[in-house]
Amino acid sequence: MGLLRLMQLADSALPIGALSHSFGLETLAAEEILTVSGLEAFLISYLEETGAFEATFCRLAYRLAEQKDSFAESWLNLNQRLSAFKLAREARLASATLGRRFVQLAFNLEDSPKLRIALDICKSSDTELHHSPAFGLVGGVLGIEEEAVVMAYLHQSVTSLISACQRLMPLGQSLASQILWSIKPKLGEAVKQSLEVSQNPEKLHNFSPMLELGSLRHSLLTTRLFIS
Amino acid sequence: MSEAKPRVNGRLSLEFQQNGDQTIMQVKEQLQPLKVVRAFELADGAALVHLHNLSGGVLGGGHLTLTAEVGPGARAQITSTGATRIYRNRAGSLDSYQLNQFEVAEGGLLEFLPDQLIPYAGSRYRQETRVKLGQDAGLFWWEVVAPGREAKPELFEYERLQISLDITAENKPIALERVQLEPAQKDITALVRLGNFRYFASFYICRVGLLPSRWLELEQRLDAIVCQLSRPNEILWGGSTLTAHGLVIRAVSMNSRAITAGLLDFWRCAKLELYGQVAIPPRKVY
Repeated sequence: MGLLRLMQLADSALPIGALSHSFGLETLAAEEILTVSGLEAFLISYLEETGAFEATFCRLAYRLAEQKDSFAESWLNLNQRLSAFKLAREARLASATLGRRFVQLAFNLEDSPKLRIALDICKSSDTELHHSPAFGLVGGVLGIEEEAVVMAYLHQSVTSLISACQRLMPLGQSLASQILWSIKPKLGEAVKQSLEVSQNPEKLHNFSPMLELGSLRHSLLTTRLFIS
Repeated sequence: MSEAKPRVNGRLSLEFQQNGDQTIMQVKEQLQPLKVVRAFELADGAALVHLHNLSGGVLGGGHLTLTAEVGPGARAQITSTGATRIYRNRAGSLDSYQLNQFEVAEGGLLEFLPDQLIPYAGSRYRQETRVKLGQDAGLFWWEVVAPGREAKPELFEYERLQISLDITAENKPIALERVQLEPAQKDITALVRLGNFRYFASFYICRVGLLPSRWLELEQRLDAIVCQLSRPNEILWGGSTLTAHGLVIRAVSMNSRAITAGLLDFWRCAKLELYGQVAIPPRKVY
């Protein structure tokens, strides 16, 4: 049952609005920095940096599902820190929009006191509720295995970026599938990296200035398909 | 054999206090190689201080601590006398390390405008910066990181560069960075990282307590400069409001000159918008 639920939550058709966001890729494509030929290499370095970083937050939130004392405080702290790490407003708001909708949807599907607290405490304290911790917390609440949850989170993130690229550049379905298939070992490495970082928080890092600049400069594009 | 203690342990602790319309600097602790000579009085009431490093940079395995406390209503402008060179580490030596701690009390303002950081080939350097802002405290803080000694030519030949930044306002984080670069391990020219660019820079502009709408207005004004200064394949700028109380400007560039000139433009615009005052560049040639 856990696997079936996870497949649904990680499906790109989940109605939380993920298809409306490119997280800066639209700018990189428009400025001809990101092209089809460079996409696979781009996604591999994305997984090494932002992917592993977000996977760490997903993992840390997963573990909060079991935490009885000070859950609300830890949950808020995790999301506040992630907000502070997300310097680009559009990417930050995109993550917060997807995260809030994700937890709300999961709560509607599976009544859970912890999800209720997670939603309410963020709303009452005006704290952004981000997608990666949302995914981790829901996975933990549903009792799905940690590695599977983190891997599913990262897989749906990369799938979503590739889907955005299909609308931004001449990337056909076959090549898109091939790229997603071939980067899976790197995805596994990023998941492993997130496990190491979760055990040694001082190792947390993310250096993705070009992706960030894509997000920072997105509002300056004259025509836009995506919200972010 | 590995070293157990740093070979150099420099410390500099400064305090800035408001005194009428002026700010007075007091040196609380000064251990070589870090040193200040004197403060200069600026027309806007700030105390301008040049940081000296008598060893010309951070020696391999050296540990440095810089602390600055800006008191209520005080204004400090801190700059360096030149680029911060990060020298090569010997095999077995400790990583070089610098801790920067800044605290700005209510109504105070800190302008921290150093020259670029140049990590030499074979260097291992960790820098931690912590900035605490009180109510209505202001901050203009920039950092430019070079790829190495470009003229040598020496590009991305350092072993490891770790830079962390924590800016908190009223005890909540508003900007966090954790950078770890190991060019021999992970391709720094990968498209998600620097791509074809060599330099990267950050500029944080904060004033605690301003409404989010004011920051969005300022973001729009600075966007005009972003558009004006960005040139494909040469330099890219971007800016955004933070989660609260501030704004960040980022850049990647092929050279440092364009970054320095651009940072001055953003600073001038933001200082005028936030404080109604003209930015006064430190007394040196850019």
